[in-house]
Amino acid sequence: MGNITLGRYMPLDSPVHKMDPRAKIMAMLLVLISIFFPAGWIGYGILFVAVSFVIILSKLSFGYIWKSMKPMLMMLFFLLIINVFFTKTGDPLFTVGGFTVYTDAVLNTLYIAVRLLLMIMITTCLTATTKPLDMTLGIENLLKPFEKIHVPAHEIAMLISIALRFIPDLIDETQRIIKAQESRGVDLQEGKISERIGAILSLIVPLFVSSFQRAEDLANAMEARGYAPGEKRTRYKVLKMETRDYILLFCAAALLACMAWLAFFR
Amino acid sequence: MPISFEHVGHTYSVGTPFEYAALKDVNLDIREGKITAIIGMTGSGKSTLVQHLNALLLPTEGTIRILDRTITAGEKPKKLKSLRKDVGLVFQFPEYQLFEETVLKDVAFGPKNFGATEDEAAQRAAKALKQVGLPADIAKKSPLELSGGQKRRTAIAGILAMDPQILVLDEPTAGLDPAGTAVMMELFRTLNKEYGKTILIVTHDMEQVFRYCDDVVVVADGTIRTKMEVKDFFRDSSLCKSMNILPPALIRMKDMLTEKGFEIPEEIDDIKSLAECVAGQVNHG
Repeated sequence: MGNITLGRYMPLDSPVHKMDPRAKIMAMLLVLISIFFPAGWIGYGILFVAVSFVIILSKLSFGYIWKSMKPMLMMLFFLLIINVFFTKTGDPLFTVGGFTVYTDAVLNTLYIAVRLLLMIMITTCLTATTKPLDMTLGIENLLKPFEKIHVPAHEIAMLISIALRFIPDLIDETQRIIKAQESRGVDLQEGKISERIGAILSLIVPLFVSSFQRAEDLANAMEARGYAPGEKRTRYKVLKMETRDYILLFCAAALLACMAWLAFFR
Repeated sequence: MPISFEHVGHTYSVGTPFEYAALKDVNLDIREGKITAIIGMTGSGKSTLVQHLNALLLPTEGTIRILDRTITAGEKPKKLKSLRKDVGLVFQFPEYQLFEETVLKDVAFGPKNFGATEDEAAQRAAKALKQVGLPADIAKKSPLELSGGQKRRTAIAGILAMDPQILVLDEPTAGLDPAGTAVMMELFRTLNKEYGKTILIVTHDMEQVFRYCDDVVVVADGTIRTKMEVKDFFRDSSLCKSMNILPPALIRMKDMLTEKGFEIPEEIDDIKSLAECVAGQVNHG
């Protein structure tokens, strides 16, 4: 369970790590939107080069991105099968036992694969270079304007940061309970189905109990220190946009415009 | 020797940036039928050490012999389940492992996993609950309704019901009040003296080591610093002090009295005979 890579922060020292989380989140959104324009292979080529450049700049290894991509491979495989069965356009590629596979089936899957790869690259780049706390601070700041229409920006940000904060704790707790129950003869790997259901129950119940306990403790601790949602509060860390952040935003916007042009005006 | 470690090492997360050697070249023999205390600072490797005893962790180096089984680094061990029946491991704060609807069912969970029938398991559970000193009417309650101390005892009963030959306890009295602690320690002594169980206790409390344990193992930086009998360990407080351990109150008292010119024989090990000894010398002086 210690090898969850998706969305984990990598403490490196790079210009991307130092950028303002708001700029990074906005830039990521812009790139995500541009990925959805049907800009053709040239467009994806440009996007791939741009995103790769950011990854190199952030000193992340491509192996790390590949690890995040791995869980998606199964999904892509199923997608390919569905496409093979239902896509009947394009040129016939080959025929197996009276069943013809068309070029569009493969092309469509490839299209989705490339989009998925680009999306994972850009989101991994954001989560790996931004500390969870900076990220929530960025989200809260970006949601601020929406408070006028009663979007609880601060509460949303607080929810996200508490959830993120508890992930490593819950992983530790689960491992602790697994060990305790294994000491009582629980066998999670082998055994009959009915035994295994019992085994899983012996993990879930204690995990629930302790999670509720933790939540209550945290709520009490926060209240004891005078926390009240919706109150005006100042921040220890104040975000400040710098030149490099504006450059990032400008590049992302340019990319979006480029993709839009490729998709609609060519 | 029911338990022996030969050149045992354990390294976490081999091959990642988080690689960490928690145990290094550990050689250790535990005597049968004795209570052994394992002491050491937080992060010294005590917990890693005890988790090897029922093969929750496997050594990355060396060989461990437990009862009649041999676990060697790099080999897939057999008979893990029967080992876990023979070596009962009680974790720190074991209350979180309770999950059944009733106390009795929860205590019977272990024996059932090891192949006991419903009736057998229930019988053993009832016996274990009695051993830990819980009243019979508690058996039908939900574990969540119990007090902290009762939960702790229920969890320990859950391990006792498996009838292990070796009982390993990781800080069993952490967070209990002094009365609860005393009851718990007396229970372990009874299990040792009357039922002949080999017991290992991880603890920070030197008073417990002094009063209840036969042997003491000092773990420091993932290695065994010292292993000796408790009465030798506390004979002279300079050994404790060299390891930054505060000796038990009685030993400190004896030191102070000696400093003031009293002659205190080494074999005195309880407060009453110490008081008599001092009284005798005062009256004669």
